[in-house]
Amino acid sequence: MAEISEAQDSDSSKLLDSDSKAPQRPDSEPEFDPKLMRKSKPGLKRLFLTFSVLFSFLLGFPFLWKSVEIYRFPLPFREIDSLSTQLRSDTLLFPLHFHALFVGFDSDPDRLRRSILSEITKLTSQNPKCSDNYTLSVTVDLGSRCLRGPTSSPHSSSYQCGSVTAAAFVQNDDVAVDERLASVFGGKTKEYSVAVVKGGSERAVVGKYRHAWMVVGDGSDVGMAAVKVAEVLVKVFINGGREEGLIRNEFMPVGADGKIVLSFNLLNADPHDWVYDWDFEKIDDTLLTPMIEALGPVANISVESQVLYHTPKASFSYWNQKLESYVFSTKDLPFFVNSNEWHLDTSIAAGGRSKILQFAVYVPSAKECPLLLQLPNGEISKTNGFISPMWGGVIVWNPQGCLKDSEFKPSAKNIIPIQDLENMFEVFIGQFRQLFGFKSLNVYTNASGDWNLLPSERGLTEWELDVLSWQHTCFNLHSCATTLGSLSRLVQSLPRMIIKDEIGKQVKLSLEAAKLALSNASSGVYESSAASSSQARSLAEDAFFDPSIMSVSYYSFEHCFAVYSPFFLPVSMHVVLAALRELKRYKQEKAKYLAWKAKANTAT
Amino acid sequence: MVLLQRPHILLLLIDTHQFLQCWIAFGSANEEGQQQEEFSEELLVKPLPDHKLLAHFHFQSSAPPSTSNGCHHHLFPKAISQLVQKFRVKEMELSFTQGRWNYESWGGFDPISSSNAKPPGVELWAVFDVPQHHIDASWKNLTHTLSGLFCASINFLESTATYSTPEWSFPPASGNVRYGTLPCEAVCTENLTPWLKLLPCRDKAGIALLLDRPSLYRGFYHSQRLHLTSTESKQTLTVVLQPNSERAIEVHASEKHVQPSWSLSSIFGKQVSGRCVLAKSSSVYLLLDRGLVAELKFPNKENGKSAANGLTSENFWSNPSFELSVNPDRIFLEESSSHSKSLSILYMFQVEKYSESEPFDIGLMWKVPVAWLCQQTPLHASRFLMGSGNERGAIAISLKSTQFTEGFMSANSKDGSCELRVDVLQVVPWYVKVYFHSLRVFVDQQPRAVSDFIEKIHVSPSKDKMSPGVMEVVLKLPCRVNTAALTIEFDKGFLRIDEYPPDANQGFDIPSAIISFPNFHASMVFLEDDSLNRSPLLSKFQEKCPVMSYTEVLLVPLTTPDFSMPYNVITIKCTVFALYFGSLLNVLQRRVAEEERFLKAKAAKKTGRLPLLLSKLSAKLRGRRREPLHSPPSSSSFINSKLVLKVILVAGLAVGWQYFFS
Repeated sequence: MAEISEAQDSDSSKLLDSDSKAPQRPDSEPEFDPKLMRKSKPGLKRLFLTFSVLFSFLLGFPFLWKSVEIYRFPLPFREIDSLSTQLRSDTLLFPLHFHALFVGFDSDPDRLRRSILSEITKLTSQNPKCSDNYTLSVTVDLGSRCLRGPTSSPHSSSYQCGSVTAAAFVQNDDVAVDERLASVFGGKTKEYSVAVVKGGSERAVVGKYRHAWMVVGDGSDVGMAAVKVAEVLVKVFINGGREEGLIRNEFMPVGADGKIVLSFNLLNADPHDWVYDWDFEKIDDTLLTPMIEALGPVANISVESQVLYHTPKASFSYWNQKLESYVFSTKDLPFFVNSNEWHLDTSIAAGGRSKILQFAVYVPSAKECPLLLQLPNGEISKTNGFISPMWGGVIVWNPQGCLKDSEFKPSAKNIIPIQDLENMFEVFIGQFRQLFGFKSLNVYTNASGDWNLLPSERGLTEWELDVLSWQHTCFNLHSCATTLGSLSRLVQSLPRMIIKDEIGKQVKLSLEAAKLALSNASSGVYESSAASSSQARSLAEDAFFDPSIMSVSYYSFEHCFAVYSPFFLPVSMHVVLAALRELKRYKQEKAKYLAWKAKANTAT
Repeated sequence: MVLLQRPHILLLLIDTHQFLQCWIAFGSANEEGQQQEEFSEELLVKPLPDHKLLAHFHFQSSAPPSTSNGCHHHLFPKAISQLVQKFRVKEMELSFTQGRWNYESWGGFDPISSSNAKPPGVELWAVFDVPQHHIDASWKNLTHTLSGLFCASINFLESTATYSTPEWSFPPASGNVRYGTLPCEAVCTENLTPWLKLLPCRDKAGIALLLDRPSLYRGFYHSQRLHLTSTESKQTLTVVLQPNSERAIEVHASEKHVQPSWSLSSIFGKQVSGRCVLAKSSSVYLLLDRGLVAELKFPNKENGKSAANGLTSENFWSNPSFELSVNPDRIFLEESSSHSKSLSILYMFQVEKYSESEPFDIGLMWKVPVAWLCQQTPLHASRFLMGSGNERGAIAISLKSTQFTEGFMSANSKDGSCELRVDVLQVVPWYVKVYFHSLRVFVDQQPRAVSDFIEKIHVSPSKDKMSPGVMEVVLKLPCRVNTAALTIEFDKGFLRIDEYPPDANQGFDIPSAIISFPNFHASMVFLEDDSLNRSPLLSKFQEKCPVMSYTEVLLVPLTTPDFSMPYNVITIKCTVFALYFGSLLNVLQRRVAEEERFLKAKAAKKTGRLPLLLSKLSAKLRGRRREPLHSPPSSSSFINSKLVLKVILVAGLAVGWQYFFS
């Protein structure tokens, strides 16, 4: 305001000024009012100067902005979003080929096919995450000739008529039948076959490879058989024999870098009573190595072992007179693992993000031996062990000496008998299967009957490995998408966070791998799909856990403000106010000039 | 032991009716186990001359050269073996120390002090079995892993500015060794617990039961060490404690030199209830060193050799001057040493015999006052800073002859020219900029030519923020030297503001210099019957390790800036700039002519009252001779006529008033 009043004052000074001049002027313009008019054009010099200062400041701003800008690699946010929406909306489709072979039935293959398909769609729960895109071909083998359905896959058309006969199923040796079927269907093809054979004692078996067979009685209905076929295809081959689809996806115990470390620990609760050692190398070679090789496509597994001493359990057990042993119940299990004394340790050999599964053999001390696990229904557990999802498993092994209260006096050092050790490791393999979500029982029970599952000496059968591989791919892709999604959300929410080139590169590679995995999965190349999906996941995790993201070197906007405001606040105030003042004055003066000019024009 | 156990096992097997196959497996595994992984625990207790007590725990695990790729372990700690495998460590030593080893009173010439006296804080050195260009990467990974394993900030040794590569003067292993120290690292139980976790029995059983945290950390010196080779892990814990028995205090007034009596339970507050069952050997030793033995005057000291043969003689442990509460199982006498006239005595107690009902506890009761001196290093080394101010200074390493070792020094000289070789390794951080040309040598307080005494010198100058300066010097001093000193000048560097630690005003540590005497070897050889079942501790004593001592850690105060300075600078600078711009714009905008007019007008307007008063005043002063002035306004205005009238009126009034009063 001060400036404005000053300007008015200066006007009045002009007025005085013109007063003094007035007498010399001719009286041609008697209406000239110096308060409202001026005769000379207002000067532009000062206005120009102040504005040039202001503009040079404004021009400098982009340079300043550029200089305080932090480096942010442009992440492909849109692609990340599209990946996650793609995974969310149209589910991952794995193409599968089913083949149903009916031996001894005389029905129309097309009708059979339709009834099986309708059963399959009835059974397939709408799985939100991963699903499959199946084709079904049905063959009815009449011995001399085959009736084939209209759609048949290249594999099923290679089936030789009459190679499966009811006679082959008469014998009760399932393993032999399994091998025979493997040679018939070709054990290596990616096709799931179910053979339904009429005649003989009723039996339903799922083999080690990718086929199952059932023998039905002579008078049985073909419709019932179709229902059972659909059931085995969906519940066993697609869902891996689990009750509830793929719900346990998130419990896939595979590290972000695709590695699992199996850490086996022998825990001697109190070495004063007895010390047990084991011959781990031998058991590693005979039992664990085949399983590890079988799981190769899913995870890279390494094994290590140690023996620990003075490791009491953390829960209590009670003497049970009837069983003549100490008993701990399932409700004690959360407290069994004594994290203070069981220094199981994370493995140094394992990389940063490998998953470590701990398997512990607990040798109880003399005060609590024999130690048995009581199930909620009052029975004693046969395996005497339990699992903890994503952590591992524990087995209680009671040494020979305490079972019979004999004069057995263990010496300082003992070795666990090899027979016991083998049993123990079979339980461990069962636990390992459970950790992956498979059942450890050999029977799959369903509404319409039982299926015997033939166990594989490798721990996991081929169809189980297939299920695992899809599940792994699916899990990896989803985890990759969520990781990248959270990364992009994080990056967008922190606009002043430095993002290095490496992160951008990893994100790009991860997206590429994920896309490759998706396309491979839909074209049915499972192995490479699994490999690239795990690569995508590990790259995404690498990007997310990049140390530079965690670094303190990101500096906030407040910091920037604190550094620059002492300069820019006062200076900009000066510059802007000066410009405003000049502008205002110029307008005023111009108006005066114009007013005079108008007057002058009218006068002349 | 092995022979005794074997039949027992066989009986057991027959009893339990195992399969034959199982028996084979058992037998072979047992055999393997016997020669495979072994563990032994030992404790050595030694009274020190200044009424203190040294306790040295020695735990040793060994594994055969890995057959199973180091994945399966029975006794050997898994973490250690994986560490060795992963980083391909050939040899490594890590020590956590608190307190300073008092070389003068606790000795410096015995195997314990030369290998277990460590500089304060953390010291780590490692030799890797990897190609030259991978060593630094391995070192970095190793420091990170160790830092996680031991809950310590060893990862600060990762940066190249903190570790060095001594060429030849670092005695444990020369060439390819990486050496780093963190002098101000605080050591506490959180470092001890992971260290104990590496033992199969932890502190649940055996000798490690004695490791009571409060008594350990109350001590004067505490050093916990981990020494690794690919097949062996040695863990030692050396503590110097003050036995605080009431009796000692009572006696103190009357007899000053009576050593305090002690027992393990009085020092540690705990007793050993049996051995760790996994240990192959578990024994406690009491060492009376040479000086003490010489003072004690054993009855048959004169015929020393015969005493060594007749170890059963009770004279050794029932001595008029002291009494042991437990009879030792064996007594070892040192084999003749070249360095000293008298021989030290070692009492061995086997823990195997004791159990929970009858815990093991030795005590030593002194009956007469004894005073003795420990065997010292040939030269006592100390280091100090010279100069003042924040600009420059000098480091001085002074070596003082201890006189104690003169006897064997002369024995060492083959011919007339007796020389004493001293290796000095000094590592200085880069911000202490050492001028190596300013190295000066003083012998017997006389400045001498450097080339006369320095036989070999290796210098790697520091690079700013890249590598520390390393100076390795081999000094050849005459045996009769009394004092020798090395001085070297330095400038204090400047650090960037973000390189200062949080407690910058505390000062910066210069790590200990290592003074070693490669011609002197500290070893104690004890006569042992069976070389097969040799105790690891005693075999460690037999190793010829060069005598080594560490100097003090120096604290250099550097100029520390006011850490709010950058902001102050910013604000002041910005204020100046703002002022400049403000005035510049003012000047640019100024309309000089207009302002003048304005001022004039203002002056004219304001004349209204002030000049009138002035004129009034002057009129009053001069009488009525002068007319009231009305020059510019009265003459000019037709608008201001009112004003002029007013002025005239007032002037008239004034005149009237004047007239009236006069």
